[in-house]
Amino acid sequence: MGAAPASRDVTSYGMGLAAPLALFFLLFFVAPLLQLFWLSLHNDTAGLHWGLGQYLHFLTDPFSLSVLGSTLLLGAEVTAVCLVLGFPIAWLYQRVGPRLQTIIILIVLLPLLTSVVVRTFAWIVILGRQGIINATLQSLGIIDTPLKLLYTQFGVVIALAQVQMPLMTLPLITALGRIDPNLDDASCSLGAGSWRTFFRVVLPLSLPGVIAGCTLTYAAAITAFITQSLVGGGQMLFMPMYLYQQASTLQNWPFASAISIIFLLAVLAVVSVFTTLGRLSRGYGGA
Amino acid sequence: MILNRRSLMTTALTLGAMKAFPGLSFAQARPLVFATFTGSWEEAHKAVLVPAFRKANADAAMVLDPMLSVDQIAKVNAAKANPPIDVMLHDPGPALVAIGQDLVEPYPVEKSAYYKDLIAEAQEPMGPAPFFQVVGLTYNPEAVKTPPTSWADLWKPEFKGRVGITNLNSTLGTGWLVEIAKMRGGSEANIDPAFKALEELKPNLAAVAANPGALATLFQQGQIDISPGNFNAIQILKARGVPVEFVAPKEGAIAFKTTIHIVKNSPNRELAFKLIEAALTPEVQTTLMNPPYLIVPTNSKVTMGGEIARVLAKDTAELKKKFVFQDWKKINEQRSAWIERFNREIKI
Repeated sequence: MGAAPASRDVTSYGMGLAAPLALFFLLFFVAPLLQLFWLSLHNDTAGLHWGLGQYLHFLTDPFSLSVLGSTLLLGAEVTAVCLVLGFPIAWLYQRVGPRLQTIIILIVLLPLLTSVVVRTFAWIVILGRQGIINATLQSLGIIDTPLKLLYTQFGVVIALAQVQMPLMTLPLITALGRIDPNLDDASCSLGAGSWRTFFRVVLPLSLPGVIAGCTLTYAAAITAFITQSLVGGGQMLFMPMYLYQQASTLQNWPFASAISIIFLLAVLAVVSVFTTLGRLSRGYGGA
Repeated sequence: MILNRRSLMTTALTLGAMKAFPGLSFAQARPLVFATFTGSWEEAHKAVLVPAFRKANADAAMVLDPMLSVDQIAKVNAAKANPPIDVMLHDPGPALVAIGQDLVEPYPVEKSAYYKDLIAEAQEPMGPAPFFQVVGLTYNPEAVKTPPTSWADLWKPEFKGRVGITNLNSTLGTGWLVEIAKMRGGSEANIDPAFKALEELKPNLAAVAANPGALATLFQQGQIDISPGNFNAIQILKARGVPVEFVAPKEGAIAFKTTIHIVKNSPNRELAFKLIEAALTPEVQTTLMNPPYLIVPTNSKVTMGGEIARVLAKDTAELKKKFVFQDWKKINEQRSAWIERFNREIKI
């Protein structure tokens, strides 16, 4: 810190600047996390007997594993829907005039400006028996009895996809914006069709954005307690509700801690797959 | 020890904070803190109980700190020696947990002017019940023309895909399951018949809500037409124009005691006692019985009136006849096993 100005390397970072945030994280994130881990290593709810019983219980119980599996699958479904629906919007954004761009960015950001609870309640109204979808289908004579949309996996995926959409679209818009538009023309003039151009040029170059968007959407979707429980209901059990049940209703903190550690590791594994892909794509994009 | 387990870090942080901000150590002189429930409970207590308490106690300072029962228990557990809450409010399940963890003081019954006037079920020496919550059948009168009369009506074929229930996270869901067990020959100790009955209920089930509040939304959206429901919650919905009616089933409406407790080591013990006394007075209970609150009173000196007299009971004698109370000690022993079983078996 006290180094002479002359010998100071302007490209180095002053780690001191990160200290306040690092301290904050240490106190309010790392310390509680360690406490959580410590608690999960106890076999009884009073926390007297050490052991791996909680982990064994979870990992040998087909039901608990199925909850974990369905949660990870839910995240994958939501991420896929967001990617398929979000990519065209981001692509369009880079190709329209400034006025339309403002409108698109407003539409993308709008969901972020309302609370998740409000958005989720809107979905209850949309998906309900007398909701917009059922009412429209019935008035068109396509269905006689209302479809069951609320409290289904389909409903949860659709609602979560809308709620988390900005997390996918914004990184995509940035990534696509970094691609030199001349590359499209170059690809075309060298004889590639538009699909070939898309798959061989645009998509590989946008991969960093795709990876970032997928990571954010995935992490947000699997931990979305409110949307999962309001649109999914009480009989669809995902990890956040399972955790809540054990910690809050049953006061079984060691098991709840073990569930959260396992959940955390599972999510880290998925995210690290994403980042590995991202690292590979960086080489690809730079090539 | 529980204190070590849950609060090691909190305690360390608190100690650190007290070194860093010595002013915190003078927190002794804080006002009385009453942890009520959120939502309509908070509204009712703010409007009726707090003014009554302050009037009777020379404008003593007090604050409402609304939170869930489990949060109350966690907070007091984290600082047993100097609890941040003086008075706790609990449903029957959490009340037993709080008593079991030695977080509450016995109520000074001999000093109390109103305790002896409470109906017998409300006289709990570890903390009396100033209010009852009542669970019965809720239905949409526009869709259900003949009002239901029994829990068994939920199984009628005409309600195929129209029934809502909640899972066992809530007092309501758990209490209801126990009643179903009793209806089918079981009890708090034998829940098996209830799970068999739930299996038969599946064709009728439209929704298993994550909490009782979500049931209200489902009625509003026409997703369900009939469900077990909380009397107070239904009255609030009704007042907002939702077509719902409440009926006490012939097996008896389930009554939950909402108990109020003095927290152990409270620095405001005397005021805490005064607040609970205020909650037990016939005046406060009468005001809370009237619209818009419609909270069922427990003081036998209160004359039942209005919607409560019409739908539930005209006097305490009828109340005792029509209400069923459950053994939450037994329920708590097995609740986690029930929840686990419900998680596994109830998929629709």
